Amino acid sequence: MSTASLRLSRRQALGLAVGGAAGAAGLRLASLHLSGSPSASVSAAGAAGAWASPLGTSRGLAAHLLRRAGFGYTDAELDAAASMSYPELVDRMVSQAPQAPAQPPRMRTDYRAVSSWWYTHMATTTAQFPERMTLFWHGLLTSDFRKSNRFPYIYQQNQLYRRLGTGDLRSLLLAATYDPAMMRYLDLDQSTARAPNENFSRELMELFTLGVGNFSEQDVREGARALSGLRIVLVDAQGQSLPLPRRQGMTPQQYYAQLEQLAQSGAAFKGVLTPRLHDGGSKSYLGRTGNIGPEQAVDAILAQDACAVHIATKALEHLCSANPSNDLVTRVAGQFRGSGYDIRTLVRAILTSDEFTAAANYRSLVRSPADYVVATMRALGQPDLAAQAVTAGAGMGQVLYDPPTVAGWPSNGAWLSSSTLLARVNFAQTVVNRGGSLPDPATAVRNQLDGVVGPDTAAVLNGSQSTADRWYALLASPEFHLK
Amino acid sequence: MLSRRDFLASGLAATAAGVIVPPVLAKGVVAAANDGVHSDRVLVVLQLGGGNDGLNTVIPYADPGYGNARPTIGIKPDKVLRLDDRAGLNPVMTGMQALWNAGQVAIVQGVGYDNPTYSHFEALHVWEYADPQRRAVDGWLGRLLAKQVDSQGHPLAGCALGQPNTPAEMRAQGATVSVIESAQSYRFQGGTGREVAAPALYRRTPGIYGVLFDQALSTAQEGMKALADASKYTPSVPYTAESTVYGSKNDLAAALQLTAQMIVTQPSVKICHVVLGGFDTHQQEDTRQQALLGYVDAAVSAFMKDLDAHGQGDRVVLMTWSEFGRRVNENGSRGTDHGSAAPVFVVGKPVKGGFYGEPPSLTSLDMGNLKHTTDFRSVYQTVIRDWLGGDAAAVLGGSFAELPLLKAA
Repeated sequence: MSTASLRLSRRQALGLAVGGAAGAAGLRLASLHLSGSPSASVSAAGAAGAWASPLGTSRGLAAHLLRRAGFGYTDAELDAAASMSYPELVDRMVSQAPQAPAQPPRMRTDYRAVSSWWYTHMATTTAQFPERMTLFWHGLLTSDFRKSNRFPYIYQQNQLYRRLGTGDLRSLLLAATYDPAMMRYLDLDQSTARAPNENFSRELMELFTLGVGNFSEQDVREGARALSGLRIVLVDAQGQSLPLPRRQGMTPQQYYAQLEQLAQSGAAFKGVLTPRLHDGGSKSYLGRTGNIGPEQAVDAILAQDACAVHIATKALEHLCSANPSNDLVTRVAGQFRGSGYDIRTLVRAILTSDEFTAAANYRSLVRSPADYVVATMRALGQPDLAAQAVTAGAGMGQVLYDPPTVAGWPSNGAWLSSSTLLARVNFAQTVVNRGGSLPDPATAVRNQLDGVVGPDTAAVLNGSQSTADRWYALLASPEFHLK
Repeated sequence: MLSRRDFLASGLAATAAGVIVPPVLAKGVVAAANDGVHSDRVLVVLQLGGGNDGLNTVIPYADPGYGNARPTIGIKPDKVLRLDDRAGLNPVMTGMQALWNAGQVAIVQGVGYDNPTYSHFEALHVWEYADPQRRAVDGWLGRLLAKQVDSQGHPLAGCALGQPNTPAEMRAQGATVSVIESAQSYRFQGGTGREVAAPALYRRTPGIYGVLFDQALSTAQEGMKALADASKYTPSVPYTAESTVYGSKNDLAAALQLTAQMIVTQPSVKICHVVLGGFDTHQQEDTRQQALLGYVDAAVSAFMKDLDAHGQGDRVVLMTWSEFGRRVNENGSRGTDHGSAAPVFVVGKPVKGGFYGEPPSLTSLDMGNLKHTTDFRSVYQTVIRDWLGGDAAAVLGGSFAELPLLKAA
């Protein structure tokens, strides 16, 4: 690529202005020409200017979908997606079967090793949609590593959300309830009939399924009774129970090595209801009365109108817009509930809504740090950036399996502070500074940024002298932090 | 009125009266004297995330109700660091006890609000936005920054330190917050070319996040400049990190050391936020809370010592808060579930040490929880009005009971 191919002067840009071609009414656009390629547009600057939406074109729409229902794409992947009709493309994506990583992590009992392994998978799997949902559920039905480290619990939860994250909500919620990482994180493994622990009971309703105001303090207490008596047991690869590992007479290192070996042998931990520790008495929970246990509690939750609304809102915020309208939430929740809580139906309803493809929702979401680094890996075709991704996550505000609170990750504008934006820009430098070959940046401006850039990014691209500098500008730009 | 962007672009600040003053970055004193807050005083807010158990922090050891409610995780009376014949501190808080003995610790008892919520996120919202109705959309420190302390947008007037994200209490329309996780990493990597290119990407970003992006980047850039120019301000005592007083393996201590460095070297710093999480002790509270309080105790003591060594002790007041206290009765997991009222610490040389407010009853409870005796906004009012000299009613939307816990100016 020659330097000239990206060059545009302010005068040229203004000279080629096309007023009101796209975006908000009255928006002033200026086009620029990348040599031998379709024109790119420079969006009007500042808060008053909206991005010039390319969602009216099949290529723009395909890129928008791939970024949101997946993470990113190479030029060839975008070409293939853009050749399909939009409904066909949505169908292809949403029907993808979950794809398990080909190799296990270097260690199954260390959350950093598991995170690194997961980054690599997010950056390489051909089934991007189930992976997107794995990340979504990690944020919503979240757990941190602190009480699980040295055990393969995080590894197991990651696989669980991949396996069930595109299926039905009931199975997923029950599996999460019996998931060892979750049981440890929210103290469910401590809860007994005699002393029910309210932690999981509260967050199951407040954060995971119903939202504040849709349950009472009485429900929290009764729910804790219904969910009491769950314990973590160990089974081998055939499902036969094994004794829990003992640490007596071992050094910590020997004990940890034993846990890692167990995990490598295919043994797995799982939650089971222990009748002796479970409160079998009558409870009144969310309007139902009887001997309610975990299954009945989840069913009582699913019977609440608030459940589909809550999950639909979270999914819309993740996939569609920061502030979905009540009308949109109602429509999507209605389809979700009507399908018997089928998660693919939920997502299909979102991706095929008018709102998803509306110009106003072009670049209306801020990529999370995990999203940003995976998109970078995919855009560059460098899946070996996982170690750097794990290291850089802390500065950007997202360490996988270490959410700030049980409410999961912040979103959109909350990702942006002086510190986190600096860390993102510095990640771009880390990446371009590695050496090795980088793809053609002019093509990347067209494919990764849809050829839609603001005047600042256009100016910096124009002023860049090398491929590395242009990639720095692209990866550090506000355009690439948005989707 | 200039927008923040215009201001940064011109490097000149216009006061409300239209008087042009020199670039504010070279004159910390100017920032210190803007918009009705005419002092060089600093407020440090320490958040104890997760809901700290007040009853095992400030222990009513003489009340038989305490031992009854806490049969396994209660602190035995002979272990309590006694402050008077009624209450004392958790045994790990020896540094706080020394500060108490020096008259520098005010403990406000039973701090809460009417109709408390037991949800972390609702309770956080109440405290962060100073609004029990949870309708406010801007954080209370952010409102204070934007409208009073820093309406001119000095990048260092509000600092969140040792954390990557802007804390909700500092987030507000018009509030500029420097979020600095560590001073070492607060720079553009890659040399001069990147130092020019990165800010050039964020001058007038389009779209709904444009202002946020541009503000985050310019705040970082201006903050970096200020940090790099720190030597030009010739603080009365140059800052040298007294690393030994902070110890190691304590994230809060690292954050407070950075806070001390900022306060000593940057006269424009007015409000700082630091946080330590992990106080949601539903199980194994005895060991977990003591470890956390140990971090708090070591970090706060070191911070006060460090400020003193630099002659800055009279400029700084630190207050703690947590979204709620915990249930009076322990649960069956050697822990406690979500509760309500809890004590707040206000620490520093300007503080008039002692107990304030009524200790809540351990027998007259609301669903097993303490009834608050002091509204949390009384504490906010004191630090806004009596300490920073601001208009507390404008920030809090009303007036609250007096809490005269500062020495007369």
